Amino acid sequence: MANLYDHPTALKDLQDSIYREKVIRARAMTLEQRIADVFEMAEVSIHMAHAGALHQLATSDPDEGWRLVAKWNDRLKRAEDYRFFVTERPEVS
Amino acid sequence: MTLLEIACAVFDRAEKLEVPHMVVGAIASGAYGIARATRDVDLLVSIDPILGIRRLMDDLGDLVAFEHQAQFDTITWGRRWVGRSNSSPPFTVELFELQDDPFCASEFSRRGLRFVPILNREAWLPTAEDVVIQKIRWGRGKDIEDARNVLAVQGPETLDMAYIENWCAAHETTQRLEDILASLPPL
Repeated sequence: MANLYDHPTALKDLQDSIYREKVIRARAMTLEQRIADVFEMAEVSIHMAHAGALHQLATSDPDEGWRLVAKWNDRLKRAEDYRFFVTERPEVS
Repeated sequence: MTLLEIACAVFDRAEKLEVPHMVVGAIASGAYGIARATRDVDLLVSIDPILGIRRLMDDLGDLVAFEHQAQFDTITWGRRWVGRSNSSPPFTVELFELQDDPFCASEFSRRGLRFVPILNREAWLPTAEDVVIQKIRWGRGKDIEDARNVLAVQGPETLDMAYIENWCAAHETTQRLEDILASLPPL
C-alpha cells in the first residue's frame, strides 16, 4: 500500500478498504445477528464508559461511576439534539 | 438492567397493552446496516387515545422515569418523550408519537413483525427502505452514516430505490441521497 503522506488517494483508498471490510462482514450476517451486535456493542460501550468514569473519579464505587456516565449521556444527548429537538412548538399563524 | 432487558420489557409491555408500535433508531438501522453502540431504545408509537403512548409510559413507570415535558423535533414537529432507566447502567427510552405525517404513516403501515432470537420474541421493524428515507430526512451525522450503511450492506440493487427516491424528492433530500450513493466505494 502507498504511503498515506506520499500518495494523494492513499488515505481514501485505505478508508474505502476498511469500510468495504465492514460492509462485507455485515452482509455475511443475518438481520437477527446484526441486531444482536447492536445490543452487545451497547453493553460493551457503556461499561467502558463506566470504567472511564471510575478512573476519572478515582473511586471504586460503582454507583458514583454510573452517576457520572448518566451525566455524560445527558450531555451527549443534548449535543446530538441541539437544533433538532425543542421543548416548545412555534405558533402557526 | 441491560439494554436488552429494557428493550424486552418495553416491547412486552407494548404488546400486552396492545399499543401499536415499531422499533426505530440504532436498533432498526443496525438490523439492516452496520451495528453501532447505542444508549437508547427508540420506539415509534401510535397516539391513539385508547391504544396510545400514555398508557405505555404509565405502565413502564417502574422501569423508566419519563420527563414530564415532551420535546418536538424541528423537522416534522412530532413529539418525543424521553425516559431514563431507573436502574444502572443508565439507558434511555425514547417514545416518538406517530403523527399526521404522510411518510411516518407510510413507514408505520409497512412495518413487519420479525422474530429476533436475542430478544426471544417478535419485534415490529420498519423496512430497510423506510430506515434509509427516515435517516436521510433527519440528516444528522450519525443519521447519514446509518443511511449509508444500510444502502451499502443491502445494496441499492436489492432495495426499492424508486420508493426511496420518491420520498427523498418529497422531503427535498434528493441531494443527500445522491451524495451518499456517490460516496459508496465499489463493493
